[in-house]
Amino acid sequence: MYRERDISIDFLGIRLDSPFILSAAPSTDELELAYDGLKEGWAGVILKTTSVEENPVPLKYPMMSSFGPQSRKVTGLGNIDLISQYHIDVIEKRVKALKESFPHKMIGASIMGAKKEDWQSLVHRLKKAGVDIIECSFSCPQGSMGEAPGRMLAQSVEATEKVAGWVKEAAGDTPVLIKITPQVTDIVEVARAVKRGGADGITASNTIPSLLGLDIYTFEPYPSLFGKGGYSGLSGSAIKPITLRTIAEIARNVDIVISGNGGAFNWKDAVEFMAVGAGNVQFCTLPMHYGFRTIRDLKSGLAGYLDAMGFKSPADIVKKALKNIYSHEEIPAPKTRAQLIEEKCVGCGLCYVACRDGGHRAIEWRSGNVPGQDDSRKPAFDEEKCPGCAMCMQVCPVDAIRMKEQMDGRCQYYEEVR
Amino acid sequence: MEDRRKFSREQALIEAERCLYCYDAPCEKACPAHVPVPEFIQSVRTGNLKGARNIIREANPFIEICGVICPEFCSEQCIRGKIDTPINVRQLHKFVTDNTDPEENLEPAERTGQKVAIVGGGPAGLSCARELSRLGYKPVILEKDVVGGIPAQEIARTRLDEEIAGKETGFIVKHFVEEVKRAEVEFVGDLLKEYGAVFISTGLEKEQEPDIPGTDLEGVFFAREILKNVRKGQKSPAGRRVGVIGGGNVALETAAVLKAEDPGRDVEVIYRRGLKELKAFREEIEEAVERGVTFQFMAIPREIRGDAKVEGIMVTRARLSEPDESGRRRPEPVENSDFFIPLDTIIIAIGQKAGEKFPEIEKTAAGLIKVNDKLETNIPGVFAGGDMVNGACTVVESVRDGKKAAASIAEYLERGKA
Repeated sequence: MYRERDISIDFLGIRLDSPFILSAAPSTDELELAYDGLKEGWAGVILKTTSVEENPVPLKYPMMSSFGPQSRKVTGLGNIDLISQYHIDVIEKRVKALKESFPHKMIGASIMGAKKEDWQSLVHRLKKAGVDIIECSFSCPQGSMGEAPGRMLAQSVEATEKVAGWVKEAAGDTPVLIKITPQVTDIVEVARAVKRGGADGITASNTIPSLLGLDIYTFEPYPSLFGKGGYSGLSGSAIKPITLRTIAEIARNVDIVISGNGGAFNWKDAVEFMAVGAGNVQFCTLPMHYGFRTIRDLKSGLAGYLDAMGFKSPADIVKKALKNIYSHEEIPAPKTRAQLIEEKCVGCGLCYVACRDGGHRAIEWRSGNVPGQDDSRKPAFDEEKCPGCAMCMQVCPVDAIRMKEQMDGRCQYYEEVR
Repeated sequence: MEDRRKFSREQALIEAERCLYCYDAPCEKACPAHVPVPEFIQSVRTGNLKGARNIIREANPFIEICGVICPEFCSEQCIRGKIDTPINVRQLHKFVTDNTDPEENLEPAERTGQKVAIVGGGPAGLSCARELSRLGYKPVILEKDVVGGIPAQEIARTRLDEEIAGKETGFIVKHFVEEVKRAEVEFVGDLLKEYGAVFISTGLEKEQEPDIPGTDLEGVFFAREILKNVRKGQKSPAGRRVGVIGGGNVALETAAVLKAEDPGRDVEVIYRRGLKELKAFREEIEEAVERGVTFQFMAIPREIRGDAKVEGIMVTRARLSEPDESGRRRPEPVENSDFFIPLDTIIIAIGQKAGEKFPEIEKTAAGLIKVNDKLETNIPGVFAGGDMVNGACTVVESVRDGKKAAASIAEYLERGKA
């Protein structure tokens, strides 16, 4: 046996053997699935959102759709799923069973209610079953029950505070997470409402309401159910930048624990989520796409990163990047110019085209088409015309362009490393 | 041989996505027909195969044939090759032709201009005819044998399906040729009285013979007659132990064809230089090797031996010295290293040479027609291209000449009008 690096982390008083947990989703909607996920090595599960017995859950299939550039099909995954068709009577039994089998893993459950009694009875029953953490879905893109049916609960600051209060009142010592939506005018206000309501943390965030696409020959939306379709909740890599901003914005303004969720597809994404403020990271689209086995790369990738960076624990990453995030007016204004790293350039000319037709016409192309001109097929940057927008750097397939930034007598080079 | 490299839709998409879409693309420059490779690949990427076909066929009338046998001058220059491996342009090209209809979006131009005589109906002649037709002239093909040239008559069916070659030739003749006349033209003579201009594209007619004794023995054949016979579906006269003298495409193709015809027969290519110096295209070599053809490298033929029939060949072992004018290292005989290879058939495949036709036209020392950079001969109004000008060349190089000649002819005829 080889020694495994310790990547455990404390999350709201719960010890997680890694920061990676399975989010409330189809992958946690059967006891067997949750069992397999934990056995494979995930640090915890949040069972798919449940409700009281009398709540109908009219699921419709097919519920999944996706989009991606050309041959990559699942850059974004959309679903017209609802909450679990299993009610609390089933879920409480599952919580008990999982807790017995995996006493050292985090067993969480997600709930959604219509009225105060529902929310609180769900909490009581889960507590009694031995749940470690309760997550409240205030942001199902297909709409909430109760307060304003069809609208997401977390889109109302008042409702968020009120319902969070009901849940926390019933939960007592059991940690409560409120799962919010980024689709609001002011995410900070919502986060503050969660805190005022007394919840312990925020799950930031959920899928994002979207229209996945259309068949351009029949004009039916994806997914099409006998020609009709509707809006989907979008997840996957496509929404990572939105989630990153959501987490960062909350972390910079509200002192509350955050569980990162929505768009993390590998350990690097997870590091980014944590660096802007997430205390752990939830995954859904990744295991739905490639299976529970993906946990192994997540764990070893993170372990290797911690070693390389000299960090003792994943907790050392949390909020590490916040000090560098500013509003636009606070960002400095260096004199920036693009610079070619000659030995890396393969001469594809994409930087030239991008600058010529999409930017500032600051690159000259040396093709050898002109007699006497060198035929290096290398771009030449005109320092006078180049404002340093970095579009050339974005299109370069071999990272042969960097930005030279100068300010106050100092100089630095900037390259995006992904 | 079944083409295992034929792309599925998914493979085509993945391959198309690897294309960098270079500016001033070296692949396009390297293509003798100047097919805008990145442009058509972009259309493959978006599933716009009709658009892709239009782009290719605008540049190259032999779109079906080149999709199968083009030696891919483009891929040799592909910038992607500097990153990992070059784009497989020919298979993408073939994916386009396999999945689109040649008759679609076709609108042949009205022909109101003068008649132009095209002597020889191979790829150069037919390309010239198409371009002239599109410019409004009336191309008349004068052909002594079968229209279509080498692809239609000599390339093995195992490489180029008869149907593809025949259909493509028929398509060009049907839509772009005013008339095909059965005629063997030996002199330019009175052609200029009947036609506005003349394009000579007869190809090379005579076989190059090695300067060694024994070529008149029974069992000695020229490669092209073997290829023509086999293409017609006739059995080749080759025996059980065959030696093919030469190292070009025709030699390798003949060897592969003979092996395919009878896998039990021994076929050995006898070549004066080494593997690196073989002139044949990589795919020709690969196919020959896959079929079980063997090689006797560094072997200079000295004498074909036998009474009335071939019994074998005496060769001298060679060593390579300094490069000659072709850039390949010159073979030099090693003293006292003669050895005998017992054979019952010898195929000569060391190239072709020009015939004695068109004595009034200025020729080079090698007997090829001399032209200026507009492909015009010493007789005003008489142009020439293809093998008769360059020596043996590929279909796509003949296309280049045909197009160039058409542009020069149009310019010449316009000048005449003025």
